[in-house]
Amino acid sequence: MAAAKKPRSIWNGTLTFAAVAIPVKLHTATESKTVSFREVHLDDGAPVEHRRFCSKEDKEVPKDEVVKGYETANGKFVVVEKEELDAAAGSSAHHLEVEHFVEAADIDPVFFAKTYYLGAGDGGEDAYRLLREALEKTGRAAIGRFTFHNREYLAAIRPYEDALAVHTLRFADEIVDPAKDLDVPKAGKKPDAREVKMAGQLVETLHDDFDPGDYEDEHRQVVLDAVKRKAKGEDVEAPDDAGGEDGGGDLLAALEASLTGAKG
Amino acid sequence: MARALWSGSISFGLVNVPVALFSAVRDQDVHFRQLHRKDGAPLEVRRFCSEEDKEIPWEAVGHGFETDGGEVVVLTDAELEAIAPRRTRTIEVSSFADAADIDPILYDHPYVVLPTGESEGPLRAYRLLVDVMAATDRVALGRVVMRTKEHLAAIRVRDGVLNLTTMRFHDEVRPTTGIGSGGKKPKKQELDHAVKLIEALAEDWDPSQYSDEHRKRMLEVVKEKEKKGKVTQPEEAEVPKASDDLLEALRASMEQLKVK
Repeated sequence: MAAAKKPRSIWNGTLTFAAVAIPVKLHTATESKTVSFREVHLDDGAPVEHRRFCSKEDKEVPKDEVVKGYETANGKFVVVEKEELDAAAGSSAHHLEVEHFVEAADIDPVFFAKTYYLGAGDGGEDAYRLLREALEKTGRAAIGRFTFHNREYLAAIRPYEDALAVHTLRFADEIVDPAKDLDVPKAGKKPDAREVKMAGQLVETLHDDFDPGDYEDEHRQVVLDAVKRKAKGEDVEAPDDAGGEDGGGDLLAALEASLTGAKG
Repeated sequence: MARALWSGSISFGLVNVPVALFSAVRDQDVHFRQLHRKDGAPLEVRRFCSEEDKEIPWEAVGHGFETDGGEVVVLTDAELEAIAPRRTRTIEVSSFADAADIDPILYDHPYVVLPTGESEGPLRAYRLLVDVMAATDRVALGRVVMRTKEHLAAIRVRDGVLNLTTMRFHDEVRPTTGIGSGGKKPKKQELDHAVKLIEALAEDWDPSQYSDEHRKRMLEVVKEKEKKGKVTQPEEAEVPKASDDLLEALRASMEQLKVK
């Protein structure tokens, strides 16, 4: 592996709990590797610009004439200035205030939105390490709030490798409750004992230790290859297709056949 | 009722369960529109060719990829579609893993998976999958094609229904190299104090006790602006100074929380 660059931080602040205050830094933890394109004009390959037009005057609007509007009724807006929103958005004091600690395993991952890494700020190395080890020892995650890019986030902080991960958290009312919000069909009849046993066997047969490195984004390479072909002036065509298939209707027979297949 | 974002089936072995996917989360953010200050009219975005300074229709927009050499290769919609992953309607379970082995850092977007159709067979197959996975605390792994992207997906049981979460690929998670500090190994006494403090501040995880203060404040700003025409600026909070003496800070905290 190449020597790692010192990762750049995207936020510097202070983490506090009770009377303890630790200087910390926030770092990016994830990055999309999906091949991305920019909009270009097909005729000449020139970049496409998005320009704002006033829908009433049919005239381009310069940036300093743009305000934000909140729609209170159909077509009726309350105008607010960016500065007014930013000031109310949350404290600009760079403070990650831990409110309490919960069992890390109790937080359902459905609450996790975005992940960052937390590192020690200058002079905070010892205290940072102490917090990390104490979290590890207790199996707990710290729950706190901080403001980042003019927005306040609730976050869970937990040990990850030899560092700390910060997961921004969704709020309870952002989580869909299937029983209330969706049409859940009536539960099927209880599967009989033989079916449960065979399905359990099938799960065991297909059980594998999870290693994220076993899975590659195969499509990424397909897209990059297509770009290469196009750059050489070749045609871009669909790769060879395999046909789809449909499963049978008899649950027990399907389980039986699967088990035979998985074992054989 | 929410609309299904995807429909197809989950297959494991030769068992096929027809299902539909719904987002497991909903956007509750306060959204603003861009307006023209002068007349309050909403803005429209129009696309212009930067070279010709001319408005262009949507059909004239292609996808440019900039190579390392700075050359821009242009692909059309049709070409991107041609190489899009086979739009299979099946999520094939390739293996089952222990739920605890999957670090949540890999999880991306969550969906609720519900059985489709009224017939008894598929409903029973769905229930069988739920029962078996719940009993073993296993997660099913497979791939799902949504729009033009193929995702790795983890299917697990939450509140008696299947949930599917798209996952990041391993190389989309950055290494932690250089992030964990080079701090001193804590002394036993320090660690003991810190653990006691954490336990003193321990609570059960209860998501309903947290509300989105940001959302509330945004709505308050709008209301105030509508009524009074101006917004009161909040006072700026002070950031606490970093603790100089760690042990002292721990002791002060314990005193504050009456921990012995």
